[in-house]
Amino acid sequence: MGRFHWSRVRHKGWALASLLFITIILIPNLLIAVEFFTEGNDNWLHIREYLLKDYLQNTVVIIIFTSLATMLIGTSLAWLITIYQFPMRNFLKWALILPLAIPPYIAAYTFHGILNYTGVIQTTLRNSFDMQVNQSYFNIMSIQGAIFIFTVTLFPYVYAITRSFFQNLSASVLENARLLGGNDIDTFFRVALPISRAAIVGSVTLVILEVLNDYGVTSYFGIQTVSTAIFRTWYGMMDLDSALKLAGTLMVIVMVVLMFERILRGRKKFFDPSSKVRPIQPKKLTGAKAWGVFAYCFGIFTIAFIIPLLQLLRWAFMTYEKVFNAQFITLAKNSVFVATIASLIIIFVALIISNYTRLQSGLLTKFISRVTTLGYSIPGAAIAIAVITIFMSLDQYIVTFLAQFNLKPEFVLRTTLGMLIFAYVIRFLAIGFNNIEAGFEKIGNRYSETSRMLGASTLRTFFLVDLPLLRGAIASGFILVFVDILKELPLTLFLQPFNFSTLATQAFKYANDERVQEASIASLMIIFISALCIFIFHRVLDKEAN
Amino acid sequence: MKKFTVILSMMLALMLALTGCVSSTNNNGNTASQGNNTEEGTNEEATNEQESGEVNVYTSRHYEADQALYKKFEEETGIKVNVVEGKGEELMERLNIEGEATEADVYITADAGNLHQAKERELLQAVESDVLAENIPEKLRDMDNHWFGLTKRARVIVYDKERVSPEELSTYEALTEPEWKDRVVVRSSENMYNMSLLASFIDIMGRDQAKEWAQGIADNMARDPEGGDRDQAKAVVAGEADVAIMNTYYIGVMLNGTDEEEKKVAENVGVFFPNQETTGTHINISGAGVTKHAKNKENAIKFIEFLSGEEAQGQFAEANSEYPVNANVEPSELLKSWGEFKEQDINLSKLGENQQEAIRIFNEVGWK
Repeated sequence: MGRFHWSRVRHKGWALASLLFITIILIPNLLIAVEFFTEGNDNWLHIREYLLKDYLQNTVVIIIFTSLATMLIGTSLAWLITIYQFPMRNFLKWALILPLAIPPYIAAYTFHGILNYTGVIQTTLRNSFDMQVNQSYFNIMSIQGAIFIFTVTLFPYVYAITRSFFQNLSASVLENARLLGGNDIDTFFRVALPISRAAIVGSVTLVILEVLNDYGVTSYFGIQTVSTAIFRTWYGMMDLDSALKLAGTLMVIVMVVLMFERILRGRKKFFDPSSKVRPIQPKKLTGAKAWGVFAYCFGIFTIAFIIPLLQLLRWAFMTYEKVFNAQFITLAKNSVFVATIASLIIIFVALIISNYTRLQSGLLTKFISRVTTLGYSIPGAAIAIAVITIFMSLDQYIVTFLAQFNLKPEFVLRTTLGMLIFAYVIRFLAIGFNNIEAGFEKIGNRYSETSRMLGASTLRTFFLVDLPLLRGAIASGFILVFVDILKELPLTLFLQPFNFSTLATQAFKYANDERVQEASIASLMIIFISALCIFIFHRVLDKEAN
Repeated sequence: MKKFTVILSMMLALMLALTGCVSSTNNNGNTASQGNNTEEGTNEEATNEQESGEVNVYTSRHYEADQALYKKFEEETGIKVNVVEGKGEELMERLNIEGEATEADVYITADAGNLHQAKERELLQAVESDVLAENIPEKLRDMDNHWFGLTKRARVIVYDKERVSPEELSTYEALTEPEWKDRVVVRSSENMYNMSLLASFIDIMGRDQAKEWAQGIADNMARDPEGGDRDQAKAVVAGEADVAIMNTYYIGVMLNGTDEEEKKVAENVGVFFPNQETTGTHINISGAGVTKHAKNKENAIKFIEFLSGEEAQGQFAEANSEYPVNANVEPSELLKSWGEFKEQDINLSKLGENQQEAIRIFNEVGWK
């Protein structure tokens, strides 16, 4: 398509817009990267000698097993829900995204609360059956425990993204496979998986990035990872340089992950070859098969969502009188407000960049699409530092500028919500972008090419052809980003303005003081709002599909 | 299709409008405008600030008791208290980055090590106040008056009442003896209470012996460190270990909490104040300092004075199971029931000075 002169000119507009956003995103990252290449000090040598090997080993073990588990669970659920009709399928279809509403650190506190010595299981065994049990059977504060927590809270990424892909597969793909003699299992491994490889790999990558960035779960469980080490070095040793070197190490791991993603994704673009998409009609299951599939789906839903929810509800009843007050309404409003604005901006930016990287292939676009995920590869607190630094210098500039005109100088940007939202955009752009990029990949280029061949501009095509086709991807991208921001902790803690808290920071406050029971109401509100969004968007998507 | 385009444009319009709102509301909300970085207007700004009836606080304490006290202070003085809550270390980093442009007037955090770091990094300023000098013992404040302790916590040995008798216990050092092999639990070395504990030993017995102690504890641990202080008490009652090193404060919180099972745990353990015959039990503080570039310095001092006063100190003790620093205020009944004890006699600044060394030792001996 680059052959047409006019199209090149049009693309320059998209290119400029993309480059602008990319530059904004790059600045904080560069600020961090520069530090990485300085020579190591004493602390760094000390870290390398005593700690680095453990950090790396733990980190790698956790990401490998978490990706395998989320991939297995996420894709199998997506596939079963797409091709079969079984009891409660319509409920489970969206309910299985709900665990995403539970922040991993809250899940960690909750499951530990259930399993520990004073938790409901051991208490019941002790008080009702007079059984003293071996503590090590109930110990979740281990690497295995962390993998479990990450899996149950993050598999919906894989499930949601893969399912939306499966759903838009044409029924003919499936029918052809069946005509060629394959059973459903064959079809899954030979047809569905290869076709949806990009979606699966993309979503698992999100899971990995989320895990790499986690601080709450691993620090509570006492597991040394590169991410916990950054904080330990930074705040404990007061050594920002060494902390940034560790952050650099984390970035290297992320690069490797992203490289793998590119390789695994492959270069082929998969899109539906038939012009009319006829969605897959789920096959009705009966008898044992139906109940088997139901048990599997519902079992996972129970472990990942119902059990932690019940525990939180129980705590909420215990602490309701002490903790709950009108303040919670304000907290909820704050949370929804910042999350909405930041998500809208992210989707807007992601649309522009992904449309450009689709229209134009080449080194520049490759570079651009890689940069969007950078923010995700850096610990939240490091981004916070970079952002605060940038805003302060901007403020300084504005003040100097205003002073020239004898205007009253005032710092306008710092400690405003604008700064927090800016940081969110940098941090979570990757999620929006991945979703929309996958959406573009799915619809392919033929519609927009046709539109342009018929004389429409890229802009017109974008609005009239691409956007409507992308509705699903936009909606799901929005949900994922919104929910993620609602749960976000380190950035919000670091950049919140005076007298401004969110539900997440409120929950953290209690949990950090080991008052996890008091944290339950804020946690429940996060879960409730996220769940509501997931439900609403699901209904919207469903209506559209029909 | 058209509908969707309309929706999208509306979304964009909404977005722009909202972002506009955000910046404007915040300009009004954060009235503490600073002119310190420009030569013009500095004096004007300064006088403005004096009149602004507010004090901006960065705090890592998140208790209802604290919030109730802020309200009380507002009512008594008419000075509005604005708060940013977060982790102590992160708020310190934020102060550091903000430099002279910071809006914060007061920094409140747990752990003397943190307070000392803040002083060392020149984030706090000296304060002359007779009230503070009178309310807070010399040992519990910075020698240059950069920070002031507000509450105390003791880091003690907690033991299972059935399996361990207090006669078997004596000092922190004794827990490194072979007889305690696989019987001790304590949380991870990442925790600042542990850093400060080891830092105090470095001051008292020197680096080598402090390292020996850390090595001895690491060798005697019943399991790898995990969880918080409450989890250590539970491990003791569950029979995983016989003793735990933890803060008294958490026993108080468990006893006053709503969870019956946690109450049982707290009731089943005994509190032992170690080193009574020798160097004293390790204590740590929560404390406050006026930031170096405070715009509302007078209000900030008033605020800290208020927190050191008898009423506030009584609140801290009663609602939070912390020991008051003000000698005129009695500890709560619960605290009294554990008895009086001899405290480590070191200046708490040492906890900060030795913090890095402590971290290195922990890493070297493999205390996770």
